[in-house]
This record gives sequence, C-alpha cells and structure tokens, in this order.
Amino acid sequence: MTTFINTVFINNPLEQFEIKEFFYMGGPLLGAKFSLTNIGLYLIIVTILVLGMSYLSLNNNKVVPSRWSIVQESLFGSILNMIKSTIGGKGEAYLPFLYTIFLYVLLSNLIGLVPYSFTPSSHFVFGIGFSVAILIGVTILGFQTHALKFFGLFVPAGTPLGLVPVLVMIETISYLARALSLGLRLTANMIGGHVLLKIFSTFTWKAVIGGPILLLISIIPFAFIIAFTGLEIAIAFIQAYVFTMLTASYLNDAINLH
Amino acid sequence: MALRLLTKSASVARPALAAQRSTASVAIRHMATSAEEKQVSPESKAQSIIDSLPGNSLITKTGYVTALAGAATYLISKEIYVFNEESLVLLAFAATFGGIVKNAREPFNAWADEHINKIRTILQKARVDHKAAVEDRIDQVGQMKDVVDVTKALYALSKETAKLEAEAFELKQKTAMTAEVKSVLDSWVRYETSVREREQSKLAAYMIEKIKADLADPKLQSQILVESINQVEKIANKA
Repeated sequence: MTTFINTVFINNPLEQFEIKEFFYMGGPLLGAKFSLTNIGLYLIIVTILVLGMSYLSLNNNKVVPSRWSIVQESLFGSILNMIKSTIGGKGEAYLPFLYTIFLYVLLSNLIGLVPYSFTPSSHFVFGIGFSVAILIGVTILGFQTHALKFFGLFVPAGTPLGLVPVLVMIETISYLARALSLGLRLTANMIGGHVLLKIFSTFTWKAVIGGPILLLISIIPFAFIIAFTGLEIAIAFIQAYVFTMLTASYLNDAINLH
Repeated sequence: MALRLLTKSASVARPALAAQRSTASVAIRHMATSAEEKQVSPESKAQSIIDSLPGNSLITKTGYVTALAGAATYLISKEIYVFNEESLVLLAFAATFGGIVKNAREPFNAWADEHINKIRTILQKARVDHKAAVEDRIDQVGQMKDVVDVTKALYALSKETAKLEAEAFELKQKTAMTAEVKSVLDSWVRYETSVREREQSKLAAYMIEKIKADLADPKLQSQILVESINQVEKIANKA
C-alpha cells in the first residue's frame, strides 16, 4: 500500500518554495521577530557570492586580466552597452546600480538550479520587493531631475485635450503596474521552471522505481529533465538580463522623459 | 541492478533481437568513434582510469575506492542520503553542467587566452615604445651635456656685449652732443658775421652819406679849399 501511494501520489511541487525558519534570536521586538530562514540564508549566500565574484575580478590589481576577470569584464561591458543603447550617455552614472542588480538577480536565479538548494528569486517578496523599490527610486529620481515636468510622462505627445484625463489615468495605472509586472515576470518564470522540473523529476522517479520496463522508459523523461535544466540555465540569464534592461528602460523614462 | 536484470532477461527472451541490437550498437559506436579513439587499446584505457584515481600505488587507490564505496553504502543504508526525485535533478544538473563545462571550456579558454595575450601584447608594445621615447629624450638631453659651460660663456659674452653697447651708446651721445654744440656755434658765428656785415655796411653807408652831406656844406667846402690852397702854397714855397 505504501509503495502504491508512493507510486501514484506525488508531493506538492510548490513545497520547495516553502519558507522555513532555521532559528531566531531573542523574542519579538516591536512586533517583529528576528529569525534566519532559508530565503534569508540564500540571500546572504548570494550577497557573499556577488562580493566574492567582484573581489576575485580585481585580480590583485594586476593590469593583465585573468580568465576570471575577463568573464566579469565581459558582463560589465554587456551591461554598459545595454545602458548606452537604452539610456544614452547620461545613464552611465547608473552602471554600478544596474550591474549589481544584474549580478544579484542572476546569481539568485542560478543558485536555485543547484540541487537541494533554494531559489530566492522564486518568491514574490524578492521580485516585487525589488521592483517596488526600483519604481520608488526611479520616481524620486524623475521628480528630482524634472520637478513637476515629470508629470509630462503621463501625457503622451500630441494627445487631444479631451483625451488627456483618460490617458493620464491609463498612463498612471500603467506606470504603477510596472512595480508589479517587473517582479512578477521574474518570479513567475522562476516558479514555472522549478515546478516543471519538480513535476518531471517526480514522475520520472516514479517510473524509475516502478519496475524494469518503466526504468528503461524513464530514460526519455530523464533526457527531458536534462534539456529543461539547460533551458533553466538559459532562462536564469535571460530573466536577469530582462530585469536589468527594463530597469534601465524605467530609468530612461525618468531621465529623458520618453 | 534493475537495468542489468532487464537487459539480461530481455536478451534471454529474445536472443535474435539482442544480437541485432548488439550489432547495431557496435555499428553506431564504430561510426561515432574517431580514428584516434580507435587506436586506444583497452589496456591503456583501463590504466588511464586507474591513474585518474587518487593515491600513489595500487593499494592506496584500492583503499580510496573501497572507503568511498563503504561510505556511500553507509550513507544510503542509514538513510543519511535518500535516493529520490531530487537525485534525478542532481544527475541532470551534473550532466548539464558537465556538458556545458566540457564543451565550453576549450573555446572559452582559447578566447580568454587570446584576449589576455592581446592585452599583454599591447602593454608590452606600449612599454617598448615608452622605453624608446625615454631613450630618445635621454639622447636629446645628452647632446646638451655642456650646456652649463656654454651658458656661462654666453652669459659672459652677453655681459661684455652689454658693456660695449653701453660704451657705444655713451660715445654716440657724446658725438651727438658735440655735433649739436658745433652746429649751434656755427650758427652763432654765421649770425655774428651777418650782423657785423650788416653793421659795417650800415656804417659805410652812413659815412658816405655823412661825407656827402658834409661836402655839400659850403663852409666845409671853403675850408677844404683854403686848406688845399695852403698846402699848395706850402709845396710851392718848398719848391
């Protein structure tokens, strides 16, 4: 019976995203509890990795680069080119910000692909937290740069006067929706990929332990798992790039007002 | 184990199929293997696998393998490591990651080394150019090694020139002064001469006028006549 249950039923594929508390320090302070969870631990690991990668890329301040620093320089150059094409010369001031975002999101995505690990970027608190913070920062930047002219962003050029109230409403909603869409896109992609891998691996495992014939057949879904893993690695890069590019695009709106 | 059982039972049940599959797999392997791989003998391949194991001698290598197998058996039997679906993900990840590393390592290394060499060449060229520029500059500066003596001589020369110029200027001033004085004196002489001439001519004219006026006076005429007669008489008396 146990074998039957194990064979037929599978665990919830969303279980892997559960936030688990490892330990907490002290009692609640002002209604908040200071604890270390799995997402907290992995975010710390990602931070250490980002800092470590950047430190290693210094290459002991040698002029001739190492293989490792060339990788970092290439990533740096790609982000710089993207900023130049999206924002222009003014955007180079935001290169450290965008490069850090790219590296952080990329490593958050990639660390989740390591088996038995946890994906911090598959949580809405990660993606939407980032995107809301970015939108607030970009809005402050827009007001700081253009003062009240920033509201011109909500009125497209050449709009008839009668349509202005409607369009302002639509543009405002569209602008505010960026706070959700940016993070949602990243998180949904990460969740989708990991759930797919989990479902495939679970069913394949059931086939592996289901007898000799099924074991032989399980080679096919296992090949799919390998393919999906490759695809997930590509998606991790693409989503980090898309996240950074959209952030650059929002910065462009705030700096150049369309 | 299950896979081995499956292949064994299948080959027993259908020997013809197994033979066909074996032939086919051999053929595929034959097509897939390159000429280099064909030359590798099973003994050398086995030796290379043994060499890749950690340890110096065959005994230590065997010990490592045994210890590893024992540890794995212990971990699995005590359920410290549990085989489940995550193990498949681990295998898939290892296969994908291994594939990426295996296929991308060589091209990446080649590209990175080329880039590093390019930068190194540029830096070395810049160093050589800089060295040449510094040597040129040293040569240029070396040509002016006697510059202190030359400068001293030039300074002395310029000092002497200045002194001579000052003397020449002084003499020139004196000459100019003398010429000025001479011209003033000449003009004064010319003026005095002209004044004297004018006065003499005036005096002569006055004297002539005076004499003419006196001669016109009858008294003087009679007096002159008397005197003339007296003188004639005296001469006559002497004679």
